[in-house]
Amino acid sequence: MDEYVLMPLSALGVYFHGVFVSLTFGLPVAIGAMLWKWWRSGEVIYLRAARIMTAVLAVNFALGAIFGTLVEFGLVQVWPGVNLAIATFAFTPLVLELIAFSNEVAFLILFIVTLGKVRPPVSLAILAVYAGFAYFSGVLITAVNTWMQAPWGTGPLAQALYPFMPEYGPLAIDVPKIVALKVAALAAGHPISILVQQPGLSGKVGVVLTDHAVAMYSPYALVSIFHNIIGATLIGLAVALAGWSYRYFKTGDGKYLKIITPIATIFAVLFVIQAPIVAHFMGEAVAKYNPTKFALIEGAKETYYNPLIAWLAYGDPNHPIVGFDRLYASCEKHGDTTLGDVAAALGLGEYLSQLGDVDVSNVAALKLRDLCVSDLQKAESRMPLLHSAYYVKVTFAILGGLAAAVLFFNFVKAPGLTALARKIVSAIGGERRGLFLLALLTVLGTVIPAVAGWAVREIGRKPWSVYGLLYPSELVTPVPYATSPGFLAFAYLTILAIGFGGLYAMYLVATREFKFLELLKKGAGVG
Amino acid sequence: MDAVFLGFAGLGLAVVLHVVFTAMTLGSGLLSAWARHMAVKTNDGWYELFARKAFKILIVSELFSGVWGTIITVFLAGFFTALTTLATNTLFIPIAIAIAAIMVRIPAIAISWYTWGKIKPSTHVLIMWIMAISGFFVPFGFRAVFAEINYPMAVGHYLQTGLNPGFMPYANPLFWTLYLHTVAAVISTGGFVVASLLALEKDVRGVKVGVRVGLVLLLAQFALGPLYWFSLGQYSPLLYEAVNTTYAPILGVKLLIIAALAVLAFKTLTSVKRGEVNVAKWLGPLALSTVVLGEVLNDGARYPNMVLIEKTGLPVELFANFYMEIPMPVVYVTLAFLGLSIAAFAAAAYFAIYKRFVAEVPEQ
Repeated sequence: MDEYVLMPLSALGVYFHGVFVSLTFGLPVAIGAMLWKWWRSGEVIYLRAARIMTAVLAVNFALGAIFGTLVEFGLVQVWPGVNLAIATFAFTPLVLELIAFSNEVAFLILFIVTLGKVRPPVSLAILAVYAGFAYFSGVLITAVNTWMQAPWGTGPLAQALYPFMPEYGPLAIDVPKIVALKVAALAAGHPISILVQQPGLSGKVGVVLTDHAVAMYSPYALVSIFHNIIGATLIGLAVALAGWSYRYFKTGDGKYLKIITPIATIFAVLFVIQAPIVAHFMGEAVAKYNPTKFALIEGAKETYYNPLIAWLAYGDPNHPIVGFDRLYASCEKHGDTTLGDVAAALGLGEYLSQLGDVDVSNVAALKLRDLCVSDLQKAESRMPLLHSAYYVKVTFAILGGLAAAVLFFNFVKAPGLTALARKIVSAIGGERRGLFLLALLTVLGTVIPAVAGWAVREIGRKPWSVYGLLYPSELVTPVPYATSPGFLAFAYLTILAIGFGGLYAMYLVATREFKFLELLKKGAGVG
Repeated sequence: MDAVFLGFAGLGLAVVLHVVFTAMTLGSGLLSAWARHMAVKTNDGWYELFARKAFKILIVSELFSGVWGTIITVFLAGFFTALTTLATNTLFIPIAIAIAAIMVRIPAIAISWYTWGKIKPSTHVLIMWIMAISGFFVPFGFRAVFAEINYPMAVGHYLQTGLNPGFMPYANPLFWTLYLHTVAAVISTGGFVVASLLALEKDVRGVKVGVRVGLVLLLAQFALGPLYWFSLGQYSPLLYEAVNTTYAPILGVKLLIIAALAVLAFKTLTSVKRGEVNVAKWLGPLALSTVVLGEVLNDGARYPNMVLIEKTGLPVELFANFYMEIPMPVVYVTLAFLGLSIAAFAAAAYFAIYKRFVAEVPEQ
């Protein structure tokens, strides 16, 4: 099974999900701002704006939900080895996510149905409940994703294989049982799901995880949650900002400025929280928990010194930027220890016998040092891509931040800064064109960092799917059809058609007037 | 409560609710697409209004229906790890068909509603048909899984040979009878639900259309239901026996309701000639209750087994998750919050359909 042809397919689904989830997170903030203004001012323009964005949100939510379904099914179907994680580390977050998702949907429907029919504060309250559950969903899904980046609760297990890795929290697993499952799959040369699918196996193996909630209190998860949710919210707000700025650009109607102002203000405030604060803690977490990823993004083939990066990443300007040379060197700590030695030390024989007639002699001679070096080589091969992606992300985030600052001070008066902002707006084509261009820049300054950031996050943990523990080949489906050209073509076409078709439909919903209602009015006897 | 039983019961609850919602939306979606098509073809405004009214059922409930599909997936993977892994490794093609259909269906519903009146009617009709037809591919995928649970022909082939069975689930002798039974049931239910809804609005012509569709497919069920029942007797004797003994009271109630449904439907067709539609209000709830009972028989009667191999049953415990102690408080809290979501959804449906907050003619 060539798992590498399935990774881009999964990535495509995740990216589309990310696009729609971003709007799901960002649009409620913009709609909420409009409802607030409508409540306080009574001006119907705000209600109309809220209605248009709600229609877009509804179509967007349907698309986000089905791409979420795709990603979820993609996990259990294309990567069925993940089922073992769903049954253990991801169980509690995913069961709690049902609370979030079901209530998110129910309150969204309630909001859509009652918008304009109930008082603004009631609509605002329903919207807030909906958004609260939506963000809670984001928290839980991010916790699950983060467990794959830093498998919290596995303690020193990854470090035992890769000495350069840190410990991942407390040891909440039964190490011999987990290792036996991995070794058995490795020895048999098939994915782990071939073992997991056996009826009665889980009863024989018994408890492998002792703390069901361990994935949720990882420090890496905490910072990832803030980073991902604020990042997604910013994208949604930027898209709304660009949409309304485009209308202002085309019409010059001042009413659109009333809509743009609160959205731009909220965007700028959130950006200040995200870029310098949350992103900094995210970087620190990567440096601490994903040493290969950090070396890749900093292009550190060799260890080097850079006071600024070191201060940002480690809080110490004298700390070296640890490169692959040191990581390779740490593999030597294994000496000539083999997998067979590990199996004997852990007493795996008893556990392997529970898994059936498993012969591990073919992998017993595998040296841990060779495994460590080989995996580092696989990681290092991705350095040009990861290093470029990371700095593209940083560059566009800076541009987005600058655009956000100009927009903010254009609308919010501050001595000196407002005059400067207005000069900049004027210099790039006057108020109508300038505001639109700046809004476009906020889109680029959030979307490109998000796209590049996800690439860094996901590709950066390779060659493992679960960092330091499991490879994609151990989790991939054994079904040959999954990599057949026919299935891949079908899957790509379906995803692309629905993704782009959905985006176009959202554009139509946002921009087209009702032109073909005569028949309906005739039927209803109203026109 | 035992975690394994809780998992089975939770899964059962999710399946039943999911099936109730899909039974409503698949049939009403088909009716709505047909009416929209007729409206454009004949330039008759009544069809257009009928299509829009029937569509309200979808726009309110389709996403919530999807929620229960997600709950099924999480319960399966979390509580019944081996079963889910075996199913995905074996029944890859049917599951892929179902997923592709879901991906087309749900956005097509949202797009149909929010572009109504904004794009060319002929294009809109096409989207409506895509929406309606794609829905029937969802059970085309998932009913193959159900057929295999009751008679694991393709799974058996896989376990014996190690070869993926590909399209073999569609040669399962239980599949086609189950699928056709399902298709007829959802169209019939959709017709009756639309009739009930329009009875609230005293729309005599609409009630007549809904009842006619519901009744024709209900009559088809008089052949398809027994056919499925006989095929269970031949290929899944354990389930057949449970349905006819332990679960016989439920089967009996279901048959009584079907009879009542048929009588009420005929009565409605007579009374609509006089412009009376009150009796039609009961058709939707009755049809939905037959769906619930049918699914309890099809799935619940399997307990304490999960998979049936002719006269042998593989108990639920064989597929259950023992990799960790299931955190029962987490599951109970989740079930309680699912109750909250049902309450919020019920309020939305009440305002949308009964209080008519969702306008037939969109506000400009």
